[in-house]
Formats: sequence, structure tokens, C-alpha cells
Amino acid sequence: MEPWVVATSLIFLYLLVTIVLGVVANRRMAIDLEDFLLYGRKAGFVVLYLTVVATYHSAFAFLGSGGFFYTHGIGFWDAGTWTILVGAITYVLGSRIWALGKRFGYITPADMLADFYESEAVRVVVALVSVVFTILYIQVQAQGLGYILSVASGDRIPFEMATLILIVVAAGYLMAGGLRAVYWTDVVQGLWMYVAVWLGALVLAFKLFGGPFELWQRVAAERPDLLTLPGPRGFFRPGMWLGLTIALSFGIVFQPHIMIRYYTAASGRVIKWLGATTPIYLMTLYIPTALVGLGGALVLPDLAIPDRVFPELLFRHAPAWLTGVILAGATAAAMSTLDSILHSNMTVLTRDVYQRYVAPDASQAHYVRVGRAIVMGLLVVGYVLSVRTFEFLVTLVTLSGSGALQLMPAILGVCFPGRRLYTRAGVLAGIGAGMVTLYLTLATFPHPLGLHGGVWALVANFLVTFVVSRLTPPPSAETVRRIHGAVEQFVYGGEEAERAP
Amino acid sequence: MAADVEPYPDFRSHYRPRTTAGWIAVFLFIVLLALAEPPVVHGLANRIEPWLLGLPFLYAYLLAVYIAMILVLLWAMRRKL
Repeated sequence: MEPWVVATSLIFLYLLVTIVLGVVANRRMAIDLEDFLLYGRKAGFVVLYLTVVATYHSAFAFLGSGGFFYTHGIGFWDAGTWTILVGAITYVLGSRIWALGKRFGYITPADMLADFYESEAVRVVVALVSVVFTILYIQVQAQGLGYILSVASGDRIPFEMATLILIVVAAGYLMAGGLRAVYWTDVVQGLWMYVAVWLGALVLAFKLFGGPFELWQRVAAERPDLLTLPGPRGFFRPGMWLGLTIALSFGIVFQPHIMIRYYTAASGRVIKWLGATTPIYLMTLYIPTALVGLGGALVLPDLAIPDRVFPELLFRHAPAWLTGVILAGATAAAMSTLDSILHSNMTVLTRDVYQRYVAPDASQAHYVRVGRAIVMGLLVVGYVLSVRTFEFLVTLVTLSGSGALQLMPAILGVCFPGRRLYTRAGVLAGIGAGMVTLYLTLATFPHPLGLHGGVWALVANFLVTFVVSRLTPPPSAETVRRIHGAVEQFVYGGEEAERAP
Repeated sequence: MAADVEPYPDFRSHYRPRTTAGWIAVFLFIVLLALAEPPVVHGLANRIEPWLLGLPFLYAYLLAVYIAMILVLLWAMRRKL
């Protein structure tokens, strides 16, 4: 049997598994908004662990990271820093977000921020930021999926058709089973992608070089420029290294599809375990992709599209069944992120827009139906975006991360009690300043002085938030006492809740 | 009128740990993070030799720092911080 037949068949087998899980989840689902959108706030450690890691790692982890090691060398090992920071942020901040969500019934990031800052304008702006920047991410994942299936089929399934098939399947099981379907499929996807990338990288390393250590020796002998900073093209200079660390840790965590996951945990302890242990998975996934990218730079030095290094190596040097298993793993990586982004956008639009401003008193079943209709709309938008442009994956991921990063001052203001309070005018002005700076430093004058544009935007955001907050009225004392008091009680158990005035 | 206004609560800052173990965890994590960032990583650590455990120096150095950072998080969890 030809390799492309095996590879394509295995991907379709994998798709069948996700559809079955979606159907089963549909039968277990209660017609209730919290169940549909938040898994009933009862996700245990294993399910939450695998959905978070599968959601964090996307098509980019499979294709983009190998392409980055291939082009820019060892500098992409910076990924370890930002993945471990994701764990630390989850530990410290995610647990607080969980506690506030549980206490006050928050479903979206905008729920929490609008409540604390007592502002509908904050709700609208946060919802807008959440949707606009993650729709871009739908595009990235959909393109990744299109890549994978068209490559697996040897271009017999055109990119546009491949994208459509995979995005329809992801939207289908989401509409059928809500977040429960997303979580269950993410469990399969999280396991599959991890095993697949390690297996594929090790098989290639042994077959082509005699083992991983021999691969490193060959790279040092033939392409030493790949093993030091800033890399062959000078990409990983200090400012870029620092900027990616911030943009791809805080910037990803503040995207709604990750923040909403914090609300779904069964307990605060689950979130803390999540924070302490997710870096093990997230960081170690980049060990095999380094082998793929660096090894590929020696074996296939003239690839036109570096992101294709892994599938190209597999097709040329791995058995057909293994290629199929691994490309199905790559499909899993992209779909697990895509379904989560579709879900978070559906949640934001249903909760923050439709339920708030269009039909506040409708039944739970009505909102579930509206949520499904919104997924259909997102599917169309995501598909159109994905087939009209074709950019290098990591650039788009970074842009998405930098957008959500601008929510950082507002979120810290809620989750970290202190004497100085941010105000609604402060956070709105800060987000506005951050967005303008982001556009200037990413699109107009990219990365001034070598420092990543997202960091410039964040600095501007913090400065404006701080200054405007000094000049404008803070949230009411009652709200500050209620919300910061809840954080204080959660973190310190009510001891020393307040200092004597 | 002023007497009717509810006073603002005066919470101690959550940016500063309140226990010794908390300070140790934050200090260790920040130091390790600094070791994985410029200028250290672009200066002292930016070399291929000496090889460590069969790996080029920069790669092995960062892997060691990353593992240490994860150990700090696990230690914080164990101490229920």
C-alpha cells in the first residue's frame, strides 16, 4: 500500500475517533450553559492536564517549531522558558482566577474584569480583544490542518478541501457535545501528539544519524552556526528572546481558551497541580522537535517551506504506518487548539454579547442553540481567513499572543490585591495604548531596537494604566472588598485579611 | 457625607510573599529565570563546548535550568504555597 494511502487513512481513522467521542459527549450533556460552556466546573486533574497541554501546543508545536529549529537553530529552545512560565502563571494566577470564577459564577474573562472594574465598556473591550485576536489563531490552526492533510495525501487532497474537512469535524463535535466533547477529544489528542512526536523524532534520529547524540555531533561538525545564538539569520537576539518569553507565556495564558479552562477545574488544588506539572509536558515536547529541525537542516538543507521539514523527513525516511500515526498526531495538535478557540469564541459571543445585550432572559436551551449557531459562523469566518492568506505560522501565533497580552494589567489588578488600584478608565486607556503601540511595533516599525513589539506594547500599556488610574476614580469600596477579599481568603485562608486602618 | 462612604479595604500586597518558604520559592524561580534570559544566555552560556552528557553546552545548560525551575514549582506545591 502506498505511503500516502496509509497516512491519509490513519488521519481519517483519528477523525472518526473524535466524532464518536463528540457523539458520546452529546448524550452525556445536560442542557445547561455551565455544562455546555464550562464542563459543569468539574474537570479533574487528568482531563484538565491533557486539555491544557493539547490546547497550548498546536500545529505550531508540530510544524512551526521544527521549521524554526531548521531555520534559526538552537535559539528556539527558548521555548522551554515560556512553557515553564505558563506553569508558574497557572500556579499563581490561574488558581486565583479559578477561585473568583467559582465564587462569583464567572464564565468568561470579561465577566471577571467587568465585575471588578464595574464597567460594561470593559466587558465589551475585553470581549473584542478576546475574539479578534483568537480568530487570527483559528486561521493559523486551520492552515496547519490544511497543510498536514494535503501533505499526508501527497497533495491529492487540495489544501482548501483539507482545511474544510478538518475544521468541519472540529466544529461538529464541539456543537454536538460542547466543552465536554472538546475535553474528551483533547485527552486523546494530547496523548497521541506527545507519543507521535517523540516516536517520529527518535526513529528519524536513529535511522539517519545512528541516534540523538550522534545527531548533535553531526550538527556541531557541519552546521555549528545552528548551535549558538543568535542563530544563522540573527533572529534570536536578546530583545527577541526576552520578548518571545513574555509574549508566548502571559500572552497565551490570557487568551480566552486558556483562561476559561481555569474556571472549569474541580478545585483550586487541581489548578495548582496543573501549574506545577504542565511544564514537564510542554517543555519536553520541544526536545524531539529540535532533533527533527536540526537533523532536517543537515539532511534536507534546501527546503522551500521549513515548516514541512517533519512530514518531508517522514515521507522519505520512515515507514508508511509511522508517517500516518505521526501526521495524525500533528492533526491532533492542530485540532485540539482549533476546537478550544472555537469554543472560547462561542462562549465569549454567547455570554458577553448575546446573553448580555440581545436576549438576557432566554432559556438555557436557547443559549445552547445560539452557541451552536455561533460556531457555524466562526467556522465560515475561520475557513475564509485560512484559505486567503498563507504566512509563516509562528509570526501569526506571536501576533495573537501579543494581542491578548494587553489584558495583563487589568487581570493583575483583579487578582493581586494591593494598596494601589487600577481603575476602569486606567485599564481601558492602557489597553488602547497597548493596541496602538502593538500595531506600530509589529506592523509599522517591527521590533524597535531589537525588542519584541509585544513587549513595547505591554510597557506602554502598564504606564498608561498606572498614570490614568492615579487620576480617575477606582471601583467602589464594596466591590474591591468583595473581590479582593475573596482572593485574600483563597490565598491566605482569611488570615490577616486586612491590615488595621 | 464623608462618614457615609464605605472605606476602602487595605489589603497587604499580594506581590510580596508572606512566608519564608514563599520568599525562597520566588527568589529561586526568578534567579533561575534570569539564568535562562539575556545577558547570561547570550553571554556565558552561548557556546557549544564543553559538551555535557553528550549534548552541546547551551542546550544542556538550558535543559538543566528548565528542570530546576520545574523542581521549584513542585517544591512550592509540596509546601502548599
